[in-house]
Formats: sequence, C-alpha cells, structure tokens
Amino acid sequence: MSSDFQEQSGAVQVRGGLTHRQKTLLNVAALLCCLGILALFSRYGSEYHVRILNNMAIFITLAVSYNLVNGVCGILHLGPNAFVAIGAYTSALLTLSPSEKQINFIINDLIWPLSIVQVPFALSLVAAGIMAALFAFIISFPVFRVRGDYLAIVTFGFGEVVRVLCNAAQSITNGPLGLKNLEPYTNLWWSWGIAILTIVSITKLINSSYGRAMKAIREDETAARAMGIDPFRQLLLAFLISAFFSGIAGGLLAHLITTISPTLFMFTLTFNLLIIIVVGGLGSTTGAVIGAILFAWGGEALRIVENPMDIGIITIPGIPGMRMVVFSLILMLVIIFAGHGIFGRNEFSWEMLARICLRGGKRVGSP
Amino acid sequence: MSFFEMRHVIVQFGGLCAVCDFSIALSAGQLVGLIGPNGAGKTTVFNTITGFITPDEGDIFWQGENIRAYPAHRVTASGIARTFQNIRLFADMTVLENVMVSFHYSIQSDFLHAMVGSPKYRRVEAEIREKSRRYLYELGLGHLSSEKAATLAYGQQRRLEIARALATGPKLLLLDEPAAGMNPIETIELAALIRLIRDKYGVTVFLIEHDMKFVMGLCERIKVLDYGKSIAEGTPTEIQKDIKVIKAYLGSGYYAAG
Ligand SMILES: Nc1ncnc2c1ncn2[C@@H]1O[C@H](COP(=O)(O)OP(=O)(O)OP(=O)(O)O)[C@@H](O)[C@H]1O
Ligand SMILES: [Mg+2]
Repeated sequence: MSSDFQEQSGAVQVRGGLTHRQKTLLNVAALLCCLGILALFSRYGSEYHVRILNNMAIFITLAVSYNLVNGVCGILHLGPNAFVAIGAYTSALLTLSPSEKQINFIINDLIWPLSIVQVPFALSLVAAGIMAALFAFIISFPVFRVRGDYLAIVTFGFGEVVRVLCNAAQSITNGPLGLKNLEPYTNLWWSWGIAILTIVSITKLINSSYGRAMKAIREDETAARAMGIDPFRQLLLAFLISAFFSGIAGGLLAHLITTISPTLFMFTLTFNLLIIIVVGGLGSTTGAVIGAILFAWGGEALRIVENPMDIGIITIPGIPGMRMVVFSLILMLVIIFAGHGIFGRNEFSWEMLARICLRGGKRVGSP
Repeated sequence: MSFFEMRHVIVQFGGLCAVCDFSIALSAGQLVGLIGPNGAGKTTVFNTITGFITPDEGDIFWQGENIRAYPAHRVTASGIARTFQNIRLFADMTVLENVMVSFHYSIQSDFLHAMVGSPKYRRVEAEIREKSRRYLYELGLGHLSSEKAATLAYGQQRRLEIARALATGPKLLLLDEPAAGMNPIETIELAALIRLIRDKYGVTVFLIEHDMKFVMGLCERIKVLDYGKSIAEGTPTEIQKDIKVIKAYLGSGYYAAG
C-alpha cells in the first residue's frame, strides 16, 4: 500500500513540475548560497552592514514565530514584546560575569543564585526560549478563555505587565537602568542560524497535521471542534513554540546591542512585528520573512527622513520618529492596494519561481 | 443498554424551552429521521448531543457512558460526527486538507516529529493523505482535491461536509439538513449515498431534513419535534397518518408531502 502511494504521489509531483528529490537539492543549494553570502559578509562586510543583517535575522525569527500565532491560528495576540523581554533578560543575566553583575547592580543587589551563575551563550539562549515558553504557558489559561478583541486586550495587558515588572523588579532586572556591557556574542552565524532553524521548523509544523489543525481553528473554530480538535491544545502549542523562538530572538537581540532596558520592549516592538506580518501577508511565512527584510533594511534606509533636509531654499529640521510615520503610510498603502499583504497566504515554492521565470522569458520572446 | 440514548433532555435559552423533555433511543445500524417545523429545536438536539450545548437536565448515554458534559471535541473522539445546517467548511483550505483535518485528533505522532519532518512523521502524513483521498473518491469529490473548499458548488460543499465527518471514523453520524439547497437529482443521489455509507461503514445515521419525500423514502424510523417536544415517533407510514403531525405542519404553514 505504501509503495502504491509513493507511485501516486510521485506522479502528482511530476505533473506539478518537480520531484521531491529535485526540491531537496534546490533547498540545499539555496542554503549553501546563503551560507556563502554570510561567510562573505562576516569576513568583508562593514560593521554597519553586519549590524543590519543581524537585525534582519532577528526580525525574521520574531516575525515568523509571531505569524504562527497571528497568521496561522488567526488569533490577535498583542504581547510578543513580553516574550522577547523575558528572553533578553534571561539570556543576559546568564551570560554576564559575576563581577560585571556587581558593577551593573548599583542600587539593589542581584538576587542569589543569579548573582553567581554564568553559562555559555548557547545555553543561555536555550534558557531564554524555555523561560519565554514557560511564561506563555502560565498566561495561556486566561488568554485562551477568550477570543477576538478580548484576547487582544488580555495579551496586550500581559505585554505591559512584563515591561512594568522589568522596571519594578530591580533586584532581578536592575530596573530602568537595565543591563549593560553584555558580551557581543551575536554574530551573523548565530542570528542567521537561528533564523533559518526557525523558518524550517515552523514551516514544517505549518505544513503538518498540526498546522492544518491550527488553520482549521482559524477558518472555523466550531467546525474544527466538531472534527475532534481541542482548540486549547492547538493554540497552546502554537503559543509555546512562538514564545520559545521569540525568547531566543530576545537573547540574540540582547547580545547584539549589548545593553538592554525596559524601554526596548515597549508595545512599539509588537506594533512593528504586526506591521511586518500584515505587510508580508498574514498567514504566510514567506511574507513574514520578506516583511522582516524590508523592515530591517527600510528602517536603515529611511533614516534619511529623520535627518534635516534641504529642499531648495527651505530647510526641514530632522523629525525623530518620522520613520514610524512613513512605515504607517506604507502599511496603509499595502492594505489599500494589496488587502492581503504582499504574499497573501501564499508561500514561496520552486515551482512558483519557475513559473515566474518562464512567464518572464516568454514575454521577452514574444513582443 | 441501548446503542445511543437521550433521556429527558431539557435545553433552555433564557425563558424559551428549545428542547423540552426529549428522549430517544437508537439502535446500531438504523437510519432515523428527525423532523419538525422551523424552530422546533432539531438543531438544538444535535448541538446537545455533540457537546456544543450542555443540557440543563437529562442524560445522554453513548456506548455505556454518560456524555452529557463532554466537550465537543471529546464527543467526536468518542465516535459521534456531525455536519452543519449552515455549511461550515474550512473555506480557505483545499478540499483534501478539509478531510485531512479530521484525522488530527487521533494522530500517532507528536509535534516534534512534525517539526523536524522525521520519517515516522512523513509516514503518518502519507497515510492520512491516502485515507482522505479515499473518502473523497467515495463521495465523488476526488477530482476536486486541490480546489479551495470555498470554490465548490453548493451540493459539493454538502458532500464535503459528509466526507469530513465520515473521516473522523464515527459510529453515529448526525446530518443536519443534508439535502438543503440541492436539486431533485442531487437529492436522489444523496439518499443513495447515505444508504451506501450506512451499509459500507456500518454507521448509524440520524438526520434532520425538511424534504418530506427524502425523509419518508430514506428513513426507517422518524421522530417528530414541535416546540421542543416530541409529538410522534414511528415508521414513515405511521408518521404520515399521525393526526398530531399533520396539525403541527398545517398549523405552521407546512404540508406533509404524501
Ligand atoms: N444559541 C441560542 N440562543 C438562544 N436561542 C436559541 C439558540 N439556538 C437556538 N435558539 C432558539 O431555539 C429554538 C430552536 O432552534 P433550532 O435551531 O434548534 O430549531 P430547528 O428545529 O433546527 O429549526 P430549523 O428547521 O429552522 O433549522 C428557536 O426558537 C431558536 O431561536
Ligand atoms: Mg436547524
């Protein structure tokens, strides 16, 4: 029976254009390409470019995992900044050396045993993911009792609670002063390695039976329940996985900018992520990746709008925050002209690329 | 202990008694109809059985257990599946995916296997795909596998709902107005299909339908509901002659087709 199936599916794939093996080869080739580019940048890239690329990878990780909850499950969750904050603080507190901690915590002392532990960066990232997932687990019980606007408000609330706690729990987080002098462990290999791991594993999950169950809940929760799906379990799974990867991204972020404080994890972070996944196409991992790339690159490119500008005789003074205005404009334009974002709910596939190339070729051939 | 039994079930919405002291017993393999004028409480009976509503009073016995307080997904896992009066497909998913969803609750692989795409998971996935295809071919939807569910014609959507319910592996299948919106030819085909499903999969079928010709021709036993109360039960011939049934239908502007 299984060989019977393979024949059948093989036939279907040939009709679609590519066999499973060809696709695997292309995937591996693409991955090698990425690694090559990374190697080039980490050797010859300027500090500026490397920083943008690191940012990009972290935002890809965040957007792809945020999209799992908001796009795939169709839940309006507004508290990913809490996951990132928890990941960042966890990871930072674990990699700082005891002596650095003493220098950092001048008002209140850091509680034992955090004051003496120090673990390798990799381990601190795992801990960051686990702590964020643990937090997600605890809040999941009140969060998934409600849906829609109510869920949005509850998650928004938890996001704020975490930020306030970061300010208040001085003997753990050092309050508004934050944590300084972290080792800059985050490099291109770490950030892009995690980003690729996140994309691959979340894509596989979305394409699996688990992802189908999540989409079914998004499409019609009542019908999903009637098909034997327990919405709480599926949503919890998505929430935990999303929190896990967001926590890791938080750890990467902390060791990229080397200074963290509560203001870094305000609602703006969630808002930016929301823009990214909506512009890319809610429910599309490809869209989340593209959105994050545009955001990280655009964020730098648009710095010029915050600089003073000379237009002929008039000089416009630099307006800080102008970038956010431009982003909001872009968001509005995308919503108006492409209601479902750049990618809609579609995903990148080699067949799609081939189709685009072939169509382009034909157009060139026949004037 | 009967195969399936509801005893003195009462469901109230505010002051309205949508289902009042409803009792029924089904035996395995039967084809039973539930009829009644609009608003009689038929769909509410189905919602109560399938765990979407917990009855205010009464019990529901299914395979030796009282399932009155089971949540919906647990009822399905215990072997009762349903379709919806107002079609509820997963609109933005393909026809095949709609059916594949039904296998999730019994999946034999955890999410970590799915996330790394292990051989074990791929085997499970291939099995689900293959079984789902079979259900689609059985219901004459095989050629539409990769279409989005929302693009199907009305009659096809109703059949996809049945395929999806059947794929959960039920022993009792509840169909809420399966022939609604179908043309006469589709209705005749549907009756044959429901009989085939009953015979081939050995499921007991309990269905709601307004099309009297369809119900009388298909069902072996019929229960009549009016204002939440059961007013008659019997074979199609008995029901057609029942004076209370005729009154209920004439009273609300319906004509029992004879
Ligand atoms: N969730 C609810 N809340 C309040 N009232 C409800 C609810 N569901 C149903 N009702 C009411 O209960 C009564 C029975 O409704 P039900 O849907 O069971 O009727 P039905 O027999 O299926 O009718 P139809 O033939 O029109 O489908 C109706 O008066 C309806 O308005
Ligand atoms: Mg009804």
